[in-house]
Amino acid sequence: MQLSYSRQVAAGGVLAALTFAGVGALTATPAYAATAEVSAIHGIPGIPVDVYLNGEKTLDNFAPGEVAGPLSLAAGVFDIALTKSGEPVADAFLTVDDAEVLGGTNISMAAHLDASGEPKITSFVNDISKVEAGKSRLIARHIAAAPAMDVRAGGTSVFTNLTNSNEAKADMEAGTIQADAVLAGTETVTIGPAELELSEGTATIVYAFGSADAGTLEVVAQTITGLHSPPAGVPSGDGGQAGTTANTWLYLLAGAGALLLVGGRARVATARRSNR
Amino acid sequence: MTVRKRGALAAMAAGAAALTVAALATVASRPTADVGADEVTALAGTTPSAAGSRSPAPMPVRKGELPTGAEVVPPVGLRIPAIGVTATVNAVGINPQTGEFEVPPRVDQVGWYRYGPGLTAPAGSVVISGHVDSSTQGKGAFFRLRELEQGDRLAVTGSDGQERAYRVIAREEYQKTRIPLDRYFARDGGQRLTLITCGGPFDADTRRYRDNLVVTAVPA
Repeated sequence: MQLSYSRQVAAGGVLAALTFAGVGALTATPAYAATAEVSAIHGIPGIPVDVYLNGEKTLDNFAPGEVAGPLSLAAGVFDIALTKSGEPVADAFLTVDDAEVLGGTNISMAAHLDASGEPKITSFVNDISKVEAGKSRLIARHIAAAPAMDVRAGGTSVFTNLTNSNEAKADMEAGTIQADAVLAGTETVTIGPAELELSEGTATIVYAFGSADAGTLEVVAQTITGLHSPPAGVPSGDGGQAGTTANTWLYLLAGAGALLLVGGRARVATARRSNR
Repeated sequence: MTVRKRGALAAMAAGAAALTVAALATVASRPTADVGADEVTALAGTTPSAAGSRSPAPMPVRKGELPTGAEVVPPVGLRIPAIGVTATVNAVGINPQTGEFEVPPRVDQVGWYRYGPGLTAPAGSVVISGHVDSSTQGKGAFFRLRELEQGDRLAVTGSDGQERAYRVIAREEYQKTRIPLDRYFARDGGQRLTLITCGGPFDADTRRYRDNLVVTAVPA
């Protein structure tokens, strides 16, 4: 008896474990879609390019200041090659082998100049987490052959000492700002000022690209929508005239009614007995 | 039959009457049942643009120009003949202290959520909220919102001067802690107009209603 009971328990336990594992396997799979949303940004001044992914031409005659994508790419590693537009892939002037693309991410790959003016590719992972209601995300990326910069909104620094291949970001009140970039720690404007519309519930990514020495500094912008959150609530009344709960007097009335019924029955019963 | 017994019977009758009245009053004051919830759910899942099958399309390329504000037509006036509402609509946002919808302080006016879709948006929910009432100003523009039925008509005037007709498809009531606000503040899914006010039991201590009443309408 004892044995068979414990066997049953054991079997039950195994079954439960299997079920659990099965459910786990089923639910774990779709949570991490094995694709990434990939955009490309061309930030090398003066050179239209063709872009090859794993040897296949993906972008043709991609011009400086243009944004391509997003493209859903299966997670994995990719060989990226850039040629001057029209030239064979063998003559690529910029190649990156085994660039890793993680599933479930949103990535911007920027072809640009490093601080010393050499072409390179930087892969930025975009913050696509939700922004609070009423807010907008501003992301500034420095991809120019230029010294460190401060980014200002309405004359006030929002990001300081931003250097090549790096980004800075903040969630701020949605609306229009006057933005410019200055040499870090100075008032010397290098880019802008420009009016920048920060739409609520979006991420606006502004890239500074080009070359300070060549006088080709400019910006390219990318927007990611759908990051909005609903308000925390909708408070729309404090008068109480429209309240729908039974009021206190109704409870009192119901209580009194119940008492009267019980009391009355008791008295009827006593009356009957005494009548007999 | 003694006087005592008659008195007892009278007491029972009075008790029964009191219980009946209390029960009836309770039933009458209960929230009206939700209607059209399924339609609202269906609208939230609708994709109006023809997405179609995704064959390997060429990668879209555009100039990376700085974004400019999209054209939006805000609602400026709302008429609901069935419940005698004619109200000015203000563009409102978020209360920075609470993170909540900034319903206009004047209870005879209502507020449009300016971060969400406007009247010409091809998709999503145009949200207008108004007070049910106020302790200082009395009944609000949306005091009788809960009386709206499926098929009732609304008219919304836009800043472009054009009046657009809507037809009520649903009326739902949720506890504020459980309302799926994502669905009502959606910027995708079918074109719809969402009216929100307060409802349900009122807590006199916190001066807050427990529920939100939500009416959904679609272009008529």
